[in-house]
Amino acid sequence: MLSKLLTLVRKELLDAARDKRSVMAGLYYAIGTPLVMCALFMVLIAQLASPEDLDIKISNADRAPDLVRYLGNQGINHSDSEDAAKIRLVISQDYPQQMAKAKSAQVTIIADNSDEKLQTSIRRLQAQLQAYSSEMGSLRLVARGIDPRVVRSLQINLEDQATPDSKGGMILGIAIFTMIYSVFISGMNLAIDTSAGERERNSLALLLSHPLSTRQLVLSKIIAVTLFAMLGLVLILLVSKLAYTLVPWQELGFSISISPQFMALMLAIGLPVALMAASMQLFVSFMAKTFKEAQSYLTMVLFVPLALSMAASYNIAPDALQWLPVSGQQQALMAFIKGREIPMLQLLVSSLATLALALALALGMERSLKSEKVIFGL
Amino acid sequence: MIRVSNLTKHIGEVQALADLSFDAANGQITGLLGPNGAGKTTCLRTLFGLLTPDSGTAEIDGIDVAKDPLGAKQQLGLFPDPFGLYERLTPREYISYFAELSGMGRAEARDATARVITRLHLQDIADRRCKGFSQGQRMKTALAQAIVHQPSNIILDEPTRGLDVMSTRLLRDILKDLRDQGHCVLFSSHVMQEVAALCDKVIVMAGGKVVAVGSPAALCRQTGKDSLEEAFIQLIGTDEGIAA
Repeated sequence: MLSKLLTLVRKELLDAARDKRSVMAGLYYAIGTPLVMCALFMVLIAQLASPEDLDIKISNADRAPDLVRYLGNQGINHSDSEDAAKIRLVISQDYPQQMAKAKSAQVTIIADNSDEKLQTSIRRLQAQLQAYSSEMGSLRLVARGIDPRVVRSLQINLEDQATPDSKGGMILGIAIFTMIYSVFISGMNLAIDTSAGERERNSLALLLSHPLSTRQLVLSKIIAVTLFAMLGLVLILLVSKLAYTLVPWQELGFSISISPQFMALMLAIGLPVALMAASMQLFVSFMAKTFKEAQSYLTMVLFVPLALSMAASYNIAPDALQWLPVSGQQQALMAFIKGREIPMLQLLVSSLATLALALALALGMERSLKSEKVIFGL
Repeated sequence: MIRVSNLTKHIGEVQALADLSFDAANGQITGLLGPNGAGKTTCLRTLFGLLTPDSGTAEIDGIDVAKDPLGAKQQLGLFPDPFGLYERLTPREYISYFAELSGMGRAEARDATARVITRLHLQDIADRRCKGFSQGQRMKTALAQAIVHQPSNIILDEPTRGLDVMSTRLLRDILKDLRDQGHCVLFSSHVMQEVAALCDKVIVMAGGKVVAVGSPAALCRQTGKDSLEEAFIQLIGTDEGIAA
């Protein structure tokens, strides 16, 4: 019995390895995605990280030399370059007079506040002006013999508890999602080829005419597709490990590295997901009569793990999701990356649910392959 | 030996088999002759347990297909219509794959494959992938697959369709060889010439049931006609769906 299973699996793998379409589908995704993610992260980092020195255009700088010096100490300088002109600080004509009379002197920031790239810089300039303002105010109170603390009713302290790794969690969530998804993408073409394709080529009836059980047939196909999916996962992990070293993480103040521990965990967690993905894709493809039909069904079905995984990345309704297949594993992997404790119970439940789903689909497939309607596509 | 008793089968609204009974003995070539849509393919699929009959039984060497499908299939070789080749495998891989599925060990399957390749003169294409094969090459590969494990019963579904003269002759020789070795050969056809040339026994089918049984000569005698073709038309009452 086992030798027949082995024969079946060997043939499936040989056939698949010679199928350019199946091999390429997995390869493109596993190699391409980490590179695309890298490029995305680089752009993202370039946007998020505000430059050390902020150049702005200051009009009437000679009217407020003290303010300009203060801003200069904070890394905000006047420049005539075109970039600097995007944020302009206009000091009013009567600034020295108003200051001398201890009244409010007007300064105006002119910038496009809807431009996301400028928002951080605008906020930074505002904060510095605010700080200067309150310092001047304190000095005026001291000159009048009043403790400046009376006007400061609240002292706000922010203790940032984010560790470098947890800041990267969101970004890594997306990276993990692309890895989990590789399990679905890498085996998909093979799953279609070995089921709907088998029937399209008229070899399914011939195969079932031989003395082998439908269970052996289903198992061999699941094993072959799962192996392909896991191969895709290994590949994407290796490519990611290399590619993510190219991203200038230090600019964000944290680093993301794909450690061997993470890779081992990913593979262990990925196996049940791969089994489930294989069973699901085969089950759906066996329902379809042709390769093309199976392809269009699967595109729809693949949206479900995509939605689950995405929801887990963005923390939408995280409570229920951490018990579900795919999203549960995704959250456990994210916890691991953020350096938190892995929610073992949730991981166990979601992995078992994944396996149960795979088993149910496999049994369903075994049943359906005994049906004349499915075999001959009646 | 193949025995079919009182098979009935509906596919959708159509009654494909209506109380069909016949048997095919060892050491004989039995032809299942009938017009298109007579239920030939349905009958053969039932023999492999791919279709479940509404009633009746099919037995292979005394094994009920419905009760022990694996045991029954073990005794069968199938030459299907269409062939169902794997285009990315070579005939050698293809044939030995099915030999292993029929219960042979790896080494045993390899040897049997080499033998059947020599016997069918497949050497020159044995290690080329099946993609792009001619109809004759496909037929030989499929036939090799059907007989590689030396099953006691060989079933062929429309084996001569699309073949040239040389391939047809080769097929006939192989079938006669198999008969002389004591195998039970059952094939379906709607080609008169082929049936007349090959069969020891003809089962004429129409509308899902047996119309007449006998050797080609006996059928001619029975109907008082000179040729099997005339006899056949007389038997089924129409010449629809028949190829001369």
